[in-house]
Amino acid sequence: MILFDEVTKTYDREVVFKDISFSMGRGEFAFLTGPSGAGKTTLLKLIYGAERPDSGQIVVSDWIVSKMKQNAIPSLRQNVGVVFQDFKLLDNKTVFDNIALALTIHKKHPHEIRERVNAVLREINLIHKANISPPYLSGGEQQRVVVARAMVARPIVLLADEPTGNLDDDNSEVVMKLFREINARGTTVLIATHNEGLFRKTGNRVFYINNKYIEKEMVA
Amino acid sequence: MIILRYALKTAFNSIWREKWINFLTILSVSIGLSILCSFIIVSRNTDSVVQRWAKSFGMVVYLDKKTDTGREDSLRKYFQRDADIVEVKYISRDQALDEVKHTLGANSLILEGIDENPLPASLELTLKSDLLDPGLAGKKAAQIKQMQGVEEVQYGEKWLSSLYAISKAMKMGTLFFGCAVFAAITFITFSTIKIFFYRRKDEIETLKLLGATKIFIRLPFLMEGIFIGLIGGIISVALISAASSFASLKIVEFMPSMKSNLISLPLSAYIEIPLAGAFLSVAGSFIAVGKIRY
Repeated sequence: MILFDEVTKTYDREVVFKDISFSMGRGEFAFLTGPSGAGKTTLLKLIYGAERPDSGQIVVSDWIVSKMKQNAIPSLRQNVGVVFQDFKLLDNKTVFDNIALALTIHKKHPHEIRERVNAVLREINLIHKANISPPYLSGGEQQRVVVARAMVARPIVLLADEPTGNLDDDNSEVVMKLFREINARGTTVLIATHNEGLFRKTGNRVFYINNKYIEKEMVA
Repeated sequence: MIILRYALKTAFNSIWREKWINFLTILSVSIGLSILCSFIIVSRNTDSVVQRWAKSFGMVVYLDKKTDTGREDSLRKYFQRDADIVEVKYISRDQALDEVKHTLGANSLILEGIDENPLPASLELTLKSDLLDPGLAGKKAAQIKQMQGVEEVQYGEKWLSSLYAISKAMKMGTLFFGCAVFAAITFITFSTIKIFFYRRKDEIETLKLLGATKIFIRLPFLMEGIFIGLIGGIISVALISAASSFASLKIVEFMPSMKSNLISLPLSAYIEIPLAGAFLSVAGSFIAVGKIRY
């Protein structure tokens, strides 16, 4: 499902990764961890085509991301949901419209959009806030909206970048529960976090990235 | 269809949100197109005057008094065969004198002291409008003047040159202003859409990350451009139509003879001008959005 084969990435001659290789199977749930600045976000960006590797091959499902042309990137991103660290919600749209946007991009019919967005809003317990703009929501609620936007399009892969970074324990638990539910439907989930508490005793694989390499690969 | 629906909704939301800047852009576009329409009207009227005059454009070929009837007749037949000449009218010396007397009316007494008819016979040639070019007309006149039995050729050289120059200047002016207005409209829409594009940069970034295609991102801006150009064009033809009707009324009031000669915008312009506005604005919008990179 996700394959990194001897991938090297540099920024202004500074090496971020050197020949890293790992793979994740269909429907797997894994964590990516490491100290700040280790390159967790860059690695996620390489998966959804926001960054290009200097060498090596990256494969996501049927897409060879490392060789992908500009015009093919939208089709990859329509199948890879991303929960961004800074949310990237549109303040001039309602919660409903923010989530619906992902389905509009998929050219779904308005009737189907309405049904699926309402279903996902019920799932994240925010149906009563459908017509509110994101700035009027709490941090936890905004994070749930971002997860809803990523999951509503039923992606093959879901990536999350520090999804609980700004949340208290209760909200973190809610968000992690949502990820588990998405994963149970067959979506491959990769979560980048430096919060060890999130993956401790989960039984999932954890990739520890540090000093340009994946130093450890363990089962939590 | 779904993308089109989204684009229309987003474009109209943006138009409403940025109503003042959109209003000023539409106003600028309509002023530009109105100037162009005015030039088209003035140019069409000048051209109409030239064409009307062209229908009666002719040369008078004065024949040598010594020319005999046989030569006069062969010259007349020669001109009748000439493809550049539409009509040939022979005026004998006596007819010419009668015309002068008729023109002078009561003052014709001044001719009574003259024993011999001083006027030459002439051939009045109505030329094809293709010969309205002063160069071609002059060449034709010089050619005729060389012919045996011809004494003088007159064709209102100065008047023709002036009219030709005015007509040419109007056409060039319309072309020049047309290009200038077209460039201005494209630039105005470019600037407005560029501002909107920068204001929505975060939104565009999010759209890209969610997998929006280039057309999905561009279309709302292009729709906005179409709307600006179309409305600007409609306002300009409405303004020009009203202004030209008012001007026609005023002109006819002072010069009733001009009534049937005034020309307004052609009917096709009522569709072509808004469409031109839309096309130019959409071109400006397209350039403003530029290349989208993921």
